[in-house]
Amino acid sequence: MAVAQKLQCAVERIVDHGEHVYTLVLRPDRPAPRFRAGQFLHLALDPYDPTGFWPESRVFSIASSPDDRSAVRVTYAVHGQFTARMESEIREGGRVWIKMPYGDFVIDSPGDVVLFAGGTGISAFTAYLEALSPPASDRSYVLGYGARTAELLIYKDVVDRSAARVPALDVTWFVETGAIPSSRIGDPTRWLPGRVSVAALWTQIRRPRESDFYISGPPAMLAAVAADLRARQVAPEAIHIDAWE
Amino acid sequence: MSAASVLREQILSLVRQYHEAQFPVRPFAPGHDLAHYAGRVFDAEELCHLVDSSLDFFLTANRYAERFEAEFSDYLGLSDALLVNSGSSANLVAVTSLTSPKLGERRLKPGDEVLTVAAGFPTTLAPILQNSLVPVFVDVNLGDYTADPNRLADAIGPKTRAIVMAHTLGVPFDLDAVGELAKKHDLWLIEDNCDALGSRYRDRLTGTFGHLGTMSFYPAHHITMGEGGCVVTNDERLARIARSFRDWGRDCYCAGGESNTCGTRFSQQFGTLPHGFDHKYVYSHVGYNLKVTDMQAAIGCAQLQKLDTFIARRRANFDWLLNALRPYEDRLLLPRATPHSAPSWFGFAITVRDGAGFTRAELVRFLEANRIETRSLFAGNLLRHPAFTGIPHRVVGGLANTDTVMHQTFFVGVYPGLDRARLEHMASAFARFMRGERAGGL
Repeated sequence: MAVAQKLQCAVERIVDHGEHVYTLVLRPDRPAPRFRAGQFLHLALDPYDPTGFWPESRVFSIASSPDDRSAVRVTYAVHGQFTARMESEIREGGRVWIKMPYGDFVIDSPGDVVLFAGGTGISAFTAYLEALSPPASDRSYVLGYGARTAELLIYKDVVDRSAARVPALDVTWFVETGAIPSSRIGDPTRWLPGRVSVAALWTQIRRPRESDFYISGPPAMLAAVAADLRARQVAPEAIHIDAWE
Repeated sequence: MSAASVLREQILSLVRQYHEAQFPVRPFAPGHDLAHYAGRVFDAEELCHLVDSSLDFFLTANRYAERFEAEFSDYLGLSDALLVNSGSSANLVAVTSLTSPKLGERRLKPGDEVLTVAAGFPTTLAPILQNSLVPVFVDVNLGDYTADPNRLADAIGPKTRAIVMAHTLGVPFDLDAVGELAKKHDLWLIEDNCDALGSRYRDRLTGTFGHLGTMSFYPAHHITMGEGGCVVTNDERLARIARSFRDWGRDCYCAGGESNTCGTRFSQQFGTLPHGFDHKYVYSHVGYNLKVTDMQAAIGCAQLQKLDTFIARRRANFDWLLNALRPYEDRLLLPRATPHSAPSWFGFAITVRDGAGFTRAELVRFLEANRIETRSLFAGNLLRHPAFTGIPHRVVGGLANTDTVMHQTFFVGVYPGLDRARLEHMASAFARFMRGERAGGL
């Protein structure tokens, strides 16, 4: 983990995705420290006095690319008191403090990679997907990405661009409620109703015993997917979970 | 501004005035003032940083430590810099980190061999022994005082697992050869860079070649915090292990005063501990507490701004002395850089040649009598010291030059506190000695 630093940031942009899901584009006063795709940051709402202690904060995956350290992007859904405060208090032009980078949820597997993303959990994978290039070897990538509605597949454009650029990336979309977009009708194997599940992706995985599995999303999804993988005899060390309290 | 902020500004303004009153620049008085071999070089900025930090009264590592680690790792172009309380601690942390079970089969185990030299400072060697590893000594070259790479290759045996060596007095050892050896034999490489901050090899800073590098910020060194040092690496896994050994051996990497930066403080499973046991108190190593205070780091932040200037002055002073002492090369072996290197000289090493007509003791006594500080090349031959006789070790190819260093080598300063007047005084003393003057014994 690179040296963690505390940075004051201007809130440059807030994207309201609907259903209390937001993306913040933050511009630190100085370039952010080096970080790796999949790492996370702490965000504080209360003022931080560098001569004292760090205030209450919450963790969020860094959704932006490590190649651009002038701006940092995070996506969050309102789930509790802190994120409710974020929704009500953070305004464009305002200031927040972050400290970063943290975390080991870094995709560094040399072999096949399977990604399970639920809701805003996709933000742990966006930087990785944006940097993904066609593999030199016979390597495959499988992504299952689900959200409550098709409209909440907020990083669909990033995934689409990656899939177009990297034929070895196999994507399956999951939509819990509401209609699958009409443009995708006729492509039922790729757009599935319901939650992200191992069963739905299993046939897409070419070498399950030689793959590394990365899971990011709500706690119930993390538990369900991990349990299913273990039941399918996936080695515990091949299962990587982006879990926070 | 708050009342506290206003008062802080006033205090810092007074500190600047104090510096001017307490530490005025005085002309050098030859024969009276010491021409030190090394020393702290500072101005009002260091004092202001120190007082500013003390007014925070955070005491343990905080904003200045974070800033130093960030700026220093950027300076080196590495991912991580971990402040510790000395260069010796940096060596201890670096070597011990390689014994971590987290490294699996690559970890160093008791009885594994580590290549090093005996002509150096004890705390390059001590961590090897403290971790029940076996040092394998090779001889050094006279002139640059670094290990002969051919000897290193000869010394590699089936149990050799690492190379731990210093860039002696700022002179980079042969990093081409050592790097190749490390790669070929899958050896860990630790660069003890305590005396070489700012030195370059093929234009790349030393301390950045190995798996781990170490730095010292003792007052004699290129920058200072009083006491202080640093472990540097570009391997985030090693950095985390090193942080653990520095911070009591705990698994948690939170800085002092912080909690739950991992977001999983109460939801992990470690060993046979209850699930969710407080991560802050989970210990994955038998560690130490080797951290710095924020006051030390504050001084370091001010010093770091001056580092490039300091390096330039060390090089200029070295060049001046080299030119001044060239006439005596028939009697004195003068220092030289290794190929492809640009040292950030720690000192100016001199070996009195066989048949010079005088001894090192006579020359050193004369210089000291003329208020010119000298130092041995640290321990000379470590194996001849009481602490290290009887240690398990191997010697490959003999240590003849190391013994020569012990008997005939010393160094004088090139540090930035030496101005032209002091250098001229040093040159004058050498000239008088070489003309036969011997008066003024201690």
